[in-house]
Amino acid sequence: MEFKDYYQTLGVEKSASQDEIKKAYRKLARKYHPDVSKEADAAAKMAQLNEANTVLSDPEKRAAYDSVSAQAAAQGARGGGEFRPPPGWDTGFEFSGSPYEGGDGGDYSDFFEQLFGQAARQRGGAGGFGQGGGHAARRGSDHHAKIELDLLDAYQGGTRTLSLHAARPGPNGRMVSEERNLEVKIPKGVREGQLIRLAGQGAPGMGDAPAGDLFLEVHFRPDARWRSVERDVYQPLPLAPWEAALGASVEVQTPSGTVEVTVPARSRAGRKLRLKGRGIPAATPGDLYLEIDIALPPADSDAARAAWTALGKAFPTFNPRAPSQTQQGA
Amino acid sequence: MPHAFHLPAQMAELLGDDSLSLEELARACRRAPEWVSEHVEAGVIAPQPADAVSGGMVTWRFASTTLVRARRVAQLEACFDADPHLAALTVDLMEEVGDLRRQLRQLRPPVPGS
Repeated sequence: MEFKDYYQTLGVEKSASQDEIKKAYRKLARKYHPDVSKEADAAAKMAQLNEANTVLSDPEKRAAYDSVSAQAAAQGARGGGEFRPPPGWDTGFEFSGSPYEGGDGGDYSDFFEQLFGQAARQRGGAGGFGQGGGHAARRGSDHHAKIELDLLDAYQGGTRTLSLHAARPGPNGRMVSEERNLEVKIPKGVREGQLIRLAGQGAPGMGDAPAGDLFLEVHFRPDARWRSVERDVYQPLPLAPWEAALGASVEVQTPSGTVEVTVPARSRAGRKLRLKGRGIPAATPGDLYLEIDIALPPADSDAARAAWTALGKAFPTFNPRAPSQTQQGA
Repeated sequence: MPHAFHLPAQMAELLGDDSLSLEELARACRRAPEWVSEHVEAGVIAPQPADAVSGGMVTWRFASTTLVRARRVAQLEACFDADPHLAALTVDLMEEVGDLRRQLRQLRPPVPGS
């Protein structure tokens, strides 16, 4: 088991006061908050900070950790080094944390789980170490993760294999690290930001209590072909100038398959054509909006240049910068 | 490499707009149910519009996106001892930044093969 130097994580001295620990944690939490930080490993850093703060901000846990830390020093383990706490290291400590403590559960290291995890509490429950000194059954905590999908998965459903790393109770009640792959069926109709709940795939429960759930927060990969807003989907529809001017019937590849679309004459760039019910599937499905874009054929041959010249001559008074023209493009 | 554990399709539940009870929301935030009630009363967390009233009691239901928001509020309160309204204001801004970043990525999608 890798020894964690929580003081090093928060950048404070071992003699730091509770106030100094709080200040150091907040400063780093602001820097690495995964919702605003641009650091690549912000989420992992934040989990480490939370763990260090959970231990050092709680006088009982801190005292227990300091004791383990002294034993680690005796074993020669430093931050990142291998360490195994001796049996009975926790004798004499009692943890009274609330079941609601902590801002975000489930992301603790093996080191933390070994020292303060549920199995440790449960083990201690029989020996005067634990929450209230009893064997109370308690449901496992929920875990949360993000998952990136393609928009097409929302239309067709799909299967994703997730690699999960979590601590589970092993022999003798000790927590052991376990990596497992979970093959998940993605339900049709999923939207950006929506959650998928995998019942019983969170942390194991204590005693006979059930395991927690795993919540997957869905995000779509950026795709030049389409984007979604709630259940509605937006897709660019490039048209040749003559198709936009004269109207046309065009084939379009949409997320739900190929459709024949009638483009009205005098269509302008930016105009949207709505295909009702072809957005993300649901009891009330979203709509698909085709956003017209005018594509210009390249003037890369004598014939092409002659055609453009002839077109210009056919519209001698056309001024695309005239106010009436520019307003039409809106 | 561990073997993939196949999860039955019915175990993957898509959480809709009224999927979560107050207790489920509280548990997923690692907070007491009273924490959710107080934050709803304060207007920080919004339940779905109530149309189910039984025995004169309105039963609150919550969207899955509300869970993401509630967890952020809970984290900010825990991290910074933040006032619930200040935490909510921060989360409003986070959500707005998230939307804008998504739009920006959409306008500049990654080059294939890069």
